Amino acid sequence: MKKYRNLLTLSVVVFVGSLLLSFVTVQDQKDPAPWDVPEKYVKMENPYAGDESLDRVGKILYIKHCRSCHGNNGEGDGPKAASMKTKIHSMTAEAFKKQSDGVIYYQSIIGRDEMPNYESKIPDEEDRWALVNYIKTLK
Amino acid sequence: MKKTILYILLGLFVCTNLFAQDEESADVVEKDKPVRFAWESGMLIDQQTSHIPTVKTLEMVIQHKFGSIDNGSSDLWGIYAPAGNIRLGLNYVVANNVQIGWGISKRNMYNDFNAKWTIFEQTRKNQVPVFVTVYANAAIDGMNRDDVELFNFEEPGQKFDYKFNNRLSYFAQLIIGRKVTNALSVQGAVSFSHANFVPQWHDHDRVGLHFNGRLKVSPQGAIIFNYDVPLQIDGISEQHPDWNSTNTPGWDGPYHPEPNLSFGYEVSTSTHAFQIYMGNSPAMLLQDMMINNNTGIDFDNFAIGFTITRLWSF
Ligand code: HEC
Repeated sequence: MKKYRNLLTLSVVVFVGSLLLSFVTVQDQKDPAPWDVPEKYVKMENPYAGDESLDRVGKILYIKHCRSCHGNNGEGDGPKAASMKTKIHSMTAEAFKKQSDGVIYYQSIIGRDEMPNYESKIPDEEDRWALVNYIKTLK
Repeated sequence: MKKTILYILLGLFVCTNLFAQDEESADVVEKDKPVRFAWESGMLIDQQTSHIPTVKTLEMVIQHKFGSIDNGSSDLWGIYAPAGNIRLGLNYVVANNVQIGWGISKRNMYNDFNAKWTIFEQTRKNQVPVFVTVYANAAIDGMNRDDVELFNFEEPGQKFDYKFNNRLSYFAQLIIGRKVTNALSVQGAVSFSHANFVPQWHDHDRVGLHFNGRLKVSPQGAIIFNYDVPLQIDGISEQHPDWNSTNTPGWDGPYHPEPNLSFGYEVSTSTHAFQIYMGNSPAMLLQDMMINNNTGIDFDNFAIGFTITRLWSF
């Protein structure tokens, strides 16, 4: 009987402990380091800048591939965002929009660590730029 | 029978050649890219779409059909029924628009090896107006058949000797598809199925027609539907149209497979497509469906099922 009581206490401790830990990890999200974007990308021209015919394409791609983490409006509040070790900054911020299209392209398509790589999922250049255009319009 | 098959093959050959010329001339005029988002997944319920992921992508397919809904709440509309079928499959994209795959089904423990090639993709400026895809598989019945007690028609009195050869069956399909609008994509296909071993009186060969499509109703959701019709062609049937129980003892045919109707809803994300549906055929392997489906489109025969695909890119 005693053995069982011990076991019970142990499981309660483990359960409550892990519950608390799960809160800790959420608060523990680390701030992302500045992006180290290769020169080639920084200088990249956006051949589709201002191409409104791509608005629909950018939106569909965003909803399909990005919304789960970055949220409906790019605030970084998608359902998967909380389980990331890195904080996802809002893409509506001035600091984000100030970056060149090439940098946003690199962040979006090449990625790093928890930000996935999309080179094979979005193989077409035109589609990639459509996505860059779209996330720049997020408000 | 051989003649009909020959005509079909010839037809396919002519068709593909016509399209080939189409594309060559298109190349000269102007480069036109394939249309986007015609399909979200290479699977559509049990059928194939022209969609093939990018090269070096591994796709896992999980197909599950429960028992039929006719027992109502007593077995949770078939979900807890012992019947039902499962297929687990892996597909790998070896080259641009070429995919090979392998799957194992619960029903008859079919092991199927398949290949799909999307020869032409519909383009944005309509220089190629349709998708043209070929799909084929060969399957091995993997059940333990040591104890099959069958009548030996060739040598009455002898036991029927079930050989490896009897386990094999094949399916080949030509699919023509079109993204009609941003919301609607449709496909029509013609198929040929062959099984080396079928029940007494049944046909070994079957030509079939397939119609299916997808209607997008939200950014990630779509209504999907599929209809498969096994054709009754006397020319290739081994069953004589004049047979009846008087002139052919034991005959209570004709034995023709039933069509399959299924419809459902698809939700897709970056790496998954999830399809939930209802359909009347318990089969998943397409030749099994085209040759052996004896449950007709009757409300009681419908079963709930789902198809899930998961992608990994390398
Ligand atoms: C699995 C979750 C996840 C998905 C899906 C995802 N991202 Fe991210 N993304 C992140 C995380 C986490 C970061 C922060 C990573 C870092 O800075 O190291 C990030 C960062 C970014 C940044 C840089 C933001 C900044 O403020 O510097 C951009 C741009 C971006 N993502 C675009 C996209 C696009 C476009 C897609 C869809 C194609 C996408 N992401 C899909 C998790 C995701």
